Formats: sequence, C-alpha cells, structure tokens
Amino acid sequence: MIEVLFYSASVIALLATILALTRSNAAHALIYLIVSLLAIAVLFFLMGAPFAAALEILIYAGAIMVLFVFVIMMLNLGEVGEAQERGWLSVKSWILPGIMAALLFIELLIALSISSEQTIALTSGVAVPPKEVAMSLFGPYVLAVEIASMLLLAGLVGAYHLGRRFIVRREGVHEGGDS
Amino acid sequence: MMNADYQSLLPLIVLSAGATILMLQIAFRRGIVLTATLTTFVLLLAACSVVPAASSIPRLVTPLLQADHIALLFCALFCVAAAVTTVLSIDYLGQRGDQPEEYFLLLVLSTLGACVLAYATHFASLLLGMELMSVALYALIAYPDKSVLPLEAAVKYLVLSGAASASILFGFALLYAATGTLEFVELGRQLGAIPSGDLMLLVASFMIISGIGFKLSLVPFHAWTPDVYDGAPAPITGFLASVSKAAIFIVLLRWFIEADLFRYSILIESITIIAVISMLVGNLLALLQKNIKRMLAYSSIAHMGYLLIILVVSSDSNYRALATEAGIYYLVAYTATTLAAFGLLTMISARHTVRENVQLDDVHGLFWHQPLLASLMLVSLLSLAGIPLTAGFIAKFYLFNVAITGYYWILLASLVIGSSIGIYYYLRVVFYMTRWGDEQQSTLSLVNRPLARIISCALIASILLLGIIPQPLMEYLKSIT
Repeated sequence: MIEVLFYSASVIALLATILALTRSNAAHALIYLIVSLLAIAVLFFLMGAPFAAALEILIYAGAIMVLFVFVIMMLNLGEVGEAQERGWLSVKSWILPGIMAALLFIELLIALSISSEQTIALTSGVAVPPKEVAMSLFGPYVLAVEIASMLLLAGLVGAYHLGRRFIVRREGVHEGGDS
Repeated sequence: MMNADYQSLLPLIVLSAGATILMLQIAFRRGIVLTATLTTFVLLLAACSVVPAASSIPRLVTPLLQADHIALLFCALFCVAAAVTTVLSIDYLGQRGDQPEEYFLLLVLSTLGACVLAYATHFASLLLGMELMSVALYALIAYPDKSVLPLEAAVKYLVLSGAASASILFGFALLYAATGTLEFVELGRQLGAIPSGDLMLLVASFMIISGIGFKLSLVPFHAWTPDVYDGAPAPITGFLASVSKAAIFIVLLRWFIEADLFRYSILIESITIIAVISMLVGNLLALLQKNIKRMLAYSSIAHMGYLLIILVVSSDSNYRALATEAGIYYLVAYTATTLAAFGLLTMISARHTVRENVQLDDVHGLFWHQPLLASLMLVSLLSLAGIPLTAGFIAKFYLFNVAITGYYWILLASLVIGSSIGIYYYLRVVFYMTRWGDEQQSTLSLVNRPLARIISCALIASILLLGIIPQPLMEYLKSIT
C-alpha cells in the first residue's frame, strides 16, 4: 500500500516537473512547480520525515512561490495584463494541476489514516520528529548552523550591493543627484 | 565543545568575529581606508591565530571539522592571500563604484569559506564552505558598477557554479543513500562493504567529479574560465584563481585520503585522463591569447591539470606522503605566483575604470618606465613557467620527482610537453615588456603608492625565497605529512 502511494507521488512529481520545464507561460510553469514541490513533500512524509515535508510546503511551495507570483503580478500591469490573466483561468489550464494536487491530497489522507507504524515502514522505520531535528542541528551540527549564518550574511550583503545600483540610478533620474 | 575545540578553530572564529565587526563598522561609519585597514588587520590576526591553534591539534571538532596541520597551514595561506588582495584593491576600488566598503566584508566572508574548506571532513561542511566562498565571490566579481563586463562574468559564474554545486550535492545524496553517512572517514569504512562496480556509486562519483572539475576548471568543464577571469576585477581574479582553487583542491585531497577512494581504479583512470587533457588543452589554448588575463586563465587550467598528478600518484600508498607534500608545496607556490601576476594587472589597470589594461600591447615597454612592476610580472611569469630560482621551479621539480618515482610516464610526458609550450607564451609577455619604444607610455597612468611598492617587493621576495631556500618549508611539510 505504502509503495503504491510512494510511486504514484513520484510519478506526479516527475510529470509536474517535466510540465513545468516545458511550459512557455511562466504562470503555468509556476503552478506545475508548486504541484511538484507538494508531491516531494508527500514523499518526505511517506519516508518518515514529517518535519521536512512541512518545511518543504512552508518554504518552497509557500514563501518562495509567493515571491515568484509577486514578480509576475508586477510584470503584468494594465488592461492587457488583466485580459491575459483571464485567459490563464480557462479550465484547460488549471484542470491538470488541479487533478494532480487533488490526488496528492487523497494520498496524504490515506497515509494519515493508515496506522503510523505502517506509514513509516518505507525506509528506516523511524519517524523523525522536529525535536530530534533541532537536537542534532544544535548538537553535533551547531557549527554548520553558524557557517550557514555567515553564508546568509554574504548573500544579503551581495544582494544589497547588486540591487543598489538600480536604486541609485532611479533616484538619480528623479533628483539629479546620488544618494 | 571544550576550550581546546575553540582554540583549534581560532582562525575561523577570528574571521567570523571580524566579519561581524566589519559589518557594524560599515553600518556606522563609511570610509574605504578605515575598512581596508580593519580588514587587513582582521586577516593578519586570523593568520597569526594559527600559532596558538597549533597547540591543540590534531583534533576532530564535532563531526564537521578536522583541525590538523594542513588545515591550519592553508588557513594562514588563505588569510595572507586575502590580505594581499585587500591591499591591492584599495586603489583599484577607489576609482570604481561609490560604496566600496562592502567589498572588503565580502572578501573576509569568502576567505572564511575557503578556511572552512581547509578544515572540512564532512559533506555538510564541505558544501557550506564551498557555497560561502562562491556566494561571496559572485558579488565580488560583479562589484564594480561602472562597466558591464563584471556583471556578465558574475552571471556566467553564478549559473554555472550553481549547476556544479547542484551536481555535487546530488552526488553526495546518492553516496548517502548508498552508505548512510556523510563523514569522510566513516564513508571510507562503509564503502568497503559495497561491491566496487555498484551503479549508484558510479553515478555518484561521476556527478561529484564533474562538479569538482567545474570548480577547479578542468577540461572538459573549463569553458567558463576565460570569460569569468577576463570580466572579473583583476584583484578578485587573482583571489579566485589562487585561493578558491587551492581550497577546493585541498578538500578534494582530504576526501580522497580519508575515505580512501584510491581503491577505485576507474576513478583514478578518469582523473588521469582529465589531467592529461587539461595540461595539453590549457597550454595549447593559452598560446592563442592576446589578452594576458585570458592567457593566465588557460594557464590556470593547465596548472590544475599538473596538480591532479598528485591525486593520481597518491593512489599508491607508498608515495602518498611524498605526493601530499608536493601538492601542498605546489599550492603554496602557485598561490604566491598567481597573486603576483594578477597584482601587476591590478596595479596597471587601477586608473582605467571602463576597461582594464590587460592586452599584451598594454605592457609594451613596461620594463623601461616601471622597472619594479615589470620585475614583479617577470618573476611571477618565470615562476609559472618553472624557471630555476623561483618557487615554480621547485614546485614543478617536486611534481617531476613524484611522477617519476611512481612510474607515471603518460602524466610525465604531458607535464613535459605542457611546460615547454608554457615557456613560449609566458616569455612572450616578457618579450613585450622589454620592447623599446614609448608610443604606449602615455596611455599607462600607473599607481605610485608606497603600499603597492611594498606589496610588490614582498611578493617578489616570497617567490624568490621559496625558490632559493625551499628547505624550511620542505622540512615543515615533511614533518606534517
């Protein structure tokens, strides 16, 4: 039973990724990408990593995708954009990702309804709760957390500097001076 | 973690604390001289902190980092190299961009990444160190905001380096699936239980080698190198060519030794092939270049090919100590030499904000009006070519020695052919520098800072010292390998 769930989620993940790569419309590609991330979250859940599954949905399907959608919204302004968006909402374009997401939802319900021993029998047989993740993250891997914080600092400072040149240029146009 | 743990990680702690202090300093008060001075101080302090750290090694600090002599030696080397880059950058950056301070913060962070790589003994620390180094480098390459070339180079490097990291990560995931561990030593133990023809291991090692090959710019993963070297600001090119290459190579060497990957002959054979084509292709393509930066890019491909000889020879456990010793000596010599070559390019391009002075014609007659800078270039080119009395000669001599003791004739032959091609294009630059004629003189407005002169003298001295009296370093390397 678990194997069936696993393989169907994998097929959905692969299919959605291929579709995301081949769409010429960015919004459609994003929808498939979200489905693919949801499918991967289900895979994590089936393998006994509910915490990783939750993070996958929160961070990838949630936060990062919202950023993408914001960018696309900002790029399509005005009447033409609205007409274009209406076009995207035709049944043809949302029915397939909808079916995929519904399948994943059903899979999740089935997985939850099976007793937990069976659910996690797919790999090691042990589900990893958030507490355990935290214990190892701040136990043996504490230095990795520190190095990752420096990595974030590097990314932040770099992004600030690179983004700044566009801000300065725009201000220069309006005020005739630099900041 | 105990006190001794902290002590053995002292260089990393100094660099992290230094990065934080720099960040605060930039937030409160901007000033390129202040920031550069503080950066140099932090980097030199980190280099010096190796001495107290040496009293509590060897020691495994958490499963992630292995503090030993090699790690500390390379930390010191990277910090000194970054300090030289900092000093070289002051004048260069003063002319480009109106907020040059973050550059130094990013440089410290990139050095921290390289130092983490020198310590890494776990896939997590390897990947984090590599990403820290490269993420800071993306921003550093794109830093000058008055021309488009750096931005183009940074985008190329970002996309390709990201793909390479993803490939390496995928390889690690497959290795983890096969063995259930991410630690190098434990990985070596677990690999013993798996038959060597296993498909999963094959795919994993293929993905990791192609990713690492990209990072070290080995043929056939080298296509990005000339464009990125050409577009990046000259001091950063020097840093990229020396520190980032040395850091990746040292972690590769540690991984191979600790996990004992030398038992897989197919791995060693593919490395041999990559080494041979890197040496030949790199040197042949360097012949065609009129741009000194692109020429040095191709020559760095060849030099990475030479370095791979170390990995191949290490597969015989009798010669492993000698090979490691030769590899470390080569990396030290190569770092000093590369910094010197790009240091000169930095100094002659500092005042030209749109396009750097890196064509062969730009150094025309340099010897007659800037003898000190020209001799810096001369020494570094002779060292790259492997002419006696320079660091490069001893390093190459070591490689010959290692290749002969291990009877690796194919590698030796390509080393000889590659080096002899190399002499031609290195000496061509010297030929241009010594040409008489002053029609180009007016276009070169050089920096005449005492600081630049001091750095030039120090680099010349270090290359010559490593070439004339190599015994102290050799003795030290013998004692730690």
